[in-house]
Amino acid sequence: MKQITILSGKGGVGKSSIAASLAIALSKKHKIVCADCDVDASNLALVFGLKEKNFEQWKKISTNEKAYLNEKKCNGCKKCVDSCYFNAISWNEKKKQPVFDSFSCEGCGVCPMVCPEKAIKLVEVKNAKIGFGETKFGFKVISGQLEMGESGSGKVVAEVKKLAKEQAEDAELMVIDSAAGIGCPVIASVNGSDFVIAVTEPTSSGLSDLKRALQITTHFGIKSGIIINKFDLNLEFTKKIEFFASENNLEIIAKIPYDKSFVDALVDLIPIVVYNPKLETLFTKIVKKIKNNLETNHK
Amino acid sequence: MKQITVTGGKGGTGKSTVATALAVLLGKDYKVLLVDADVDCPNDHLLLGIKRKKVKIVYQRIPKWDFNKCIKCGKCAEVCKTHAIFVVKGKQPIFLPQQCNGCGACILSCPVKALSWKKKEIGFVFKGKKHGIDFISGELKVNEPVSEFVVNAVKKEIKKVESKYDFVLVDTAAGTHCDVIEALKQTDIALAVTEPTPLGEHDLELIIQLIKKLGIKFEIILNRFEEGKSVLIEAAAKRHGKKIMAKIPYKKEIMQAYSKGVPVRDNSIEKIKRLVIE
Repeated sequence: MKQITILSGKGGVGKSSIAASLAIALSKKHKIVCADCDVDASNLALVFGLKEKNFEQWKKISTNEKAYLNEKKCNGCKKCVDSCYFNAISWNEKKKQPVFDSFSCEGCGVCPMVCPEKAIKLVEVKNAKIGFGETKFGFKVISGQLEMGESGSGKVVAEVKKLAKEQAEDAELMVIDSAAGIGCPVIASVNGSDFVIAVTEPTSSGLSDLKRALQITTHFGIKSGIIINKFDLNLEFTKKIEFFASENNLEIIAKIPYDKSFVDALVDLIPIVVYNPKLETLFTKIVKKIKNNLETNHK
Repeated sequence: MKQITVTGGKGGTGKSTVATALAVLLGKDYKVLLVDADVDCPNDHLLLGIKRKKVKIVYQRIPKWDFNKCIKCGKCAEVCKTHAIFVVKGKQPIFLPQQCNGCGACILSCPVKALSWKKKEIGFVFKGKKHGIDFISGELKVNEPVSEFVVNAVKKEIKKVESKYDFVLVDTAAGTHCDVIEALKQTDIALAVTEPTPLGEHDLELIIQLIKKLGIKFEIILNRFEEGKSVLIEAAAKRHGKKIMAKIPYKKEIMQAYSKGVPVRDNSIEKIKRLVIE
């Protein structure tokens, strides 16, 4: 199964709208599955008009542990406080005991190692849920959502991708919608991809974040192309993006004009390519370019 | 000093637009520090045309091995929760610095004390000023996973100078994970910026859950507002016993100001200013 990942660096440039329509266009000739790897704020299923409550299944998962103190055993030596690199343990002078901040605890396991009284234990936490549902368009979408205040989004992304593979064993392509930013969940989304599409917009933020995001794909040695969304809002910046692309040997996969129907489609929860059939040709072209890239990868 | 943190869950809802516009407006009457805590993709300096000066390199500790001492027992790999250490039996450990969060479990586990610390650069802190406001921003080096360490370094810089200011305005990243949590902690009021789409509503709900869990006061700001299209967000606000604090209209001039790097001016920003001063 080949993996195509959509990323952007900057948020709100149209990743999920484009990912959903691209998935529909790809599904006309291929068996596909979609993975929403923005586990901080998962939206892809919604773009297909699929609400969380209509998923076939949700399950709670644990990719993290957190430290818990047995107060009776604690001798107040403060070794745990001094050893925590994440400042998750503070000292309560009144109680003469450490206080654990579960928001900051990474579950690294250092405090149980230094505790002479064996008063600290790591306990698994259910830090996320993952699930899958059938879209109206003949393929499944797999989503994940981190519980609020929990950490470990990178590992949850890996679980979403794993579930996508299990749920669609015979799929030829996995379309992955990544989170905004360039941190661990994005790195986890890109890892293992065959082709990356970076979506951007013609603003200084769009270009700056695009450059940062594409350094990740360069690091992994993954081929990538660019889609400039709302390209006609600022032609000067679009030129700058095109110049950046040609300097770095990156293909501009598509330039999409600003179109108010993108927002209207989102409001109605209908993928843009269905809402505005005029865009079908555009997405068919994008599909062709992606297939070219995947084939040349192979050689 | 009052700390205001601008966040929102969904990307591209206008967090930076609100943070920069509000900072400039408050800066007319007060001493203001604007902080860009979106260390993954910092953009506030671009929006305001601020030239940033690098003032600090952010380091993270990572282990190094003395292979003369290493007995190839594999204990370091066993205790590593982030899978940064690989050991094939009888061979020297292989270390993947990108995966390491610097916790120190490997060093504690080594029976022959073959491990010690060294440091790696993971990001930078910048300073600047323009439009009568001071500015601090953090930036994560690309391919480094632990954004929150850079956010922490930025927060340390804030601590050093915050007493000089009437308002500290913090702009967070999109999402709801560790770097956003770090930026939200210790804030006096959070402003959740959203847009009138079901996705905006969905992510607003998530960020409100997080803000409530952290026990922080919050207000909702609706960006790209159009008459008659804000029902979803009005309802979401009502669910949390809130009224929308301000509505920023969907206007071409605002989008153009954004794309030109000029702080946005609008009555809605004036309203936010009035309300945060109270």
